[in-house]
Amino acid sequence: MNSRPARGLVTLALVSAALAQASAQDPRIMPRLDAPSRAAITALVDSARAQGLPVEPLMEKVYEGMGKGADGPRIVAAVRSLTLEMASAHRALGTVASADEIKAAASAMHAGVPAVELGKMKKQSGLRRSLTLPFTVLADLVSRGVPVEAGVNAIKSLVGAGAKDADLNKFQRNVSGDIDQGAPPAAAAETRAKAVPATKPEDDG
Amino acid sequence: MESSDAALVTSVLHGDVNAYGALVSRYRDRYARYAVHMLGNREDAEEALQDAFTRAYRSLARCEEPERFGAWLFRILVNRCRTSGARRVRRGQTFVYDEGALMKASQEHPAERTMWREEIERALGELSADQREAFLLKYVEDLGYDEMAEITGVGVSALKMRVMRACDRLRTLLREVHNG
Amino acid sequence: MGEWGRTTLELIVEELRQPVRLDESFERRVMVRVRRLYAQRRRHGVGGWLGGFTRVTYHPGWAAALAASVVAMVTLGVMRSRPAGVATVSPREPVQFVLVRPDARSVAVVGDFNDWGLNDTALVATNHQGVWSVTAPVPAGVHRYAFVVNGKEWVTDPNAPRSAGDDFGLPSSALVVEDSTK
Repeated sequence: MNSRPARGLVTLALVSAALAQASAQDPRIMPRLDAPSRAAITALVDSARAQGLPVEPLMEKVYEGMGKGADGPRIVAAVRSLTLEMASAHRALGTVASADEIKAAASAMHAGVPAVELGKMKKQSGLRRSLTLPFTVLADLVSRGVPVEAGVNAIKSLVGAGAKDADLNKFQRNVSGDIDQGAPPAAAAETRAKAVPATKPEDDG
Repeated sequence: MESSDAALVTSVLHGDVNAYGALVSRYRDRYARYAVHMLGNREDAEEALQDAFTRAYRSLARCEEPERFGAWLFRILVNRCRTSGARRVRRGQTFVYDEGALMKASQEHPAERTMWREEIERALGELSADQREAFLLKYVEDLGYDEMAEITGVGVSALKMRVMRACDRLRTLLREVHNG
Repeated sequence: MGEWGRTTLELIVEELRQPVRLDESFERRVMVRVRRLYAQRRRHGVGGWLGGFTRVTYHPGWAAALAASVVAMVTLGVMRSRPAGVATVSPREPVQFVLVRPDARSVAVVGDFNDWGLNDTALVATNHQGVWSVTAPVPAGVHRYAFVVNGKEWVTDPNAPRSAGDDFGLPSSALVVEDSTK
């Protein structure tokens, strides 16, 4: 483990005192960032808001960066990257997507899933079914080495069959367990997807 | 191009508070009419409508069909009007009609028109709250009985009965006025 | 009155359907209320990017509410689309975080639900023979989090999905909390 976390936690203690006296404008973190980073983050947040994107995930990213001891420019880069991913996700999913879905979709995109695939999934699933968890599981699968196509197909088939969130949780745990035990990621995802029983809509509760 | 309700709701939920202003502007007058007739005076109607908009904002995340924000808001308003207490008719302050329409009407039959409006409002005030609500929803807001049942939580047959009684009562009251 | 050729009902309805206009001050008054709510929510950390601190406290009853050893995902029923943002008051759901680390001297949980430990908001886990756990209310929604072991080592939850995204070189786990009130 590098020294950044420790430095980050020490910084947090210092930040806390400053935050207690922070202005209404910058209650938590802005006083601790250098001026150019502060300006850049403000501009990115304003831009996101103007695009109708949820802005809280951007600030969460700032806190995450500070908590992990990252410097200003590094945090700005992460916030910029997240803004672009959320904008793509928002375009792909449409205005009916919830902020959580956009956030989860941005995560899946960061893992390598094309926005267009996420948009297709949203279109197929209808308005009622939240895809927050399916996107989250998909991001996990791809980050564990499951090829994008195999991951997308597995999640599509599960959601299409009416799998509940509990089924998706179990599916994720099983696939990661299989991979940890040496299974090829694609094979693990494809095989485990077949094991989740189809659920009739009326059984969804 | 005008934004859809769903797009505006999404913008609000994503932090754009000004987008809510567009929704207020869109439904302000449309629903003011119901509140004015239901409550009988402008002050109470505005208060009820303000409360409805505020409640809707507070609960916006629970609006499950943002594309039907207007219908959802109307349900909130109907409930709010119900809990508003007794109808307080304040003569001379009751009607807040569109000035253009009024101007035209006033030019045609100014005195009769004013009197007629006041008598209708007084007759509405004679109805029970349930009957007035059913009548306004059916005939003024032009809702179907299924929609009314959804909004009020009252069964269709009971609503039909209320509307029928409201109509009978209004006819009687306004004939009396006319003949008397 | 010649108009009585039409039914009384028609005449009543015609009159009642006349448009009603409220003046523009109405809209301003509503928006004053709405902006006040918006500001209150930001102050209370419900959303908005200048939101205030939210200190998470432990309630013993929550531990009993969740019996699972590791609850990385809280799924209580079918999740619905839940637009979130400034106007959203996300209900909090109890979540138990568990990490098995017999060698640890301390374990804390940090994530976006407690501003990654900013302002001393890290959740401190208690040790049960090497099984560290803490239960805390977490707002409904999707979250990123990690364990901090011995105050310096960042560890993902081995039983939760990995969270993809720029993690500053220190991976995080993903958590989806369902709103049980829906």
